[in-house]
Amino acid sequence: MFNKENRTEKFKDAETIIGGSIKVKGNFHGQGNIVIEGCLEGSLKTNANLFIGEKAKIVANIEAQDAIINGEVYGQIKIKKYLSLGASAKIFGDIQYEEISVEKGAIINGQLIVKQENEASKRKEHSKPEEEQEELIEEKE
Amino acid sequence: MNVYIYDDFLNKSKYNRTINRLEIKLTDLGLNGKIIRLGAIKNIHDAIESEIKNGAKTIVAVGNNETVFKTAAAVIEHQALSFVPQKTLFFIIPIGKNDNSIADALGIKREVEACNTLLARRIKKIDIGVAGHNYFIEKAEMPSENAILEIDGYHLEVKEKGVISIINLAKKSNIIGEKIPKPNDGKLDIHIKTRDKEESFISVKSFKIISKGQALFLDDSVEIKTPIEFGVIPGGLEIVVGKERSFE
Repeated sequence: MFNKENRTEKFKDAETIIGGSIKVKGNFHGQGNIVIEGCLEGSLKTNANLFIGEKAKIVANIEAQDAIINGEVYGQIKIKKYLSLGASAKIFGDIQYEEISVEKGAIINGQLIVKQENEASKRKEHSKPEEEQEELIEEKE
Repeated sequence: MNVYIYDDFLNKSKYNRTINRLEIKLTDLGLNGKIIRLGAIKNIHDAIESEIKNGAKTIVAVGNNETVFKTAAAVIEHQALSFVPQKTLFFIIPIGKNDNSIADALGIKREVEACNTLLARRIKKIDIGVAGHNYFIEKAEMPSENAILEIDGYHLEVKEKGVISIINLAKKSNIIGEKIPKPNDGKLDIHIKTRDKEESFISVKSFKIISKGQALFLDDSVEIKTPIEFGVIPGGLEIVVGKERSFE
């Protein structure tokens, strides 16, 4: 997982790094890990991990597997698994995630939504014992 | 048959001894072939094309990066544009201490020592960078200020002063995270380093650079003007490489 401890290692794994002096406009879709330290307007999507630096400003809907966000984001955020919001993160939009950690100082102006699929799978897990119990009752009869 | 393309600068007397030693070594190893001196011919493309048609199996650039730039283009064009292209290998015998970064990245040692690499015939296919109507093996560079890079579905704007490098092949990396570009991944690596040491890195198959009045240098040899479209010819050149090359 793309965790906070290996922040310094992030550049080694990153397929794309957008530095602080770069402005990106358009639909920025990648396959590998992405690091954004600059500005981005449009949409941002990756099947892998995303790191958004302290000085970054993102005006876009975001989709990623795991993400660490330390900068400003104006848009919807959909993270498949783990999202970490740093103390300097400012989020203006709804956030969907499976797991989240929020540092003291982070600003969230939007809804926090736990991923639906996860809830569905949890429901299935809960329902399993009942089915098994029914089967046992039938067998006894 | 091997065809050796000697660059102009080798006519200087200070290179006589090196060239003599080189020719003796090539003869000893049974690698001798035809010698073409660049100063004596007007159109290098026609000369190389004609040698390939006459059965040259290996074209060897004897000189530095600029020699490679001039001769490789002719071989690449032959492979890319001929109706029935003949399989032609390419090799470099680097002469002199400086301006041989392409040979370094390919793991080819200097001067006489390069002959053993040619004899070993360790062959790899490498990508060729395309910039407009020009080809490059190593890199293209230009100032970054006010440059716009149009990539598939988005564009990057660089405001700060610095350097944009479009890299196909490099011995070692100055890039953040020590990424070494792979010249056989079908992509070009764009590296932007601005004055305040901010770095950006992105790997793409094709893109366009727009920049007002800025010139771009290909393999430190030729200057071209923007706007210009970049692309890659995957595996465009079959080349004899050394053990200590920068890629697999």
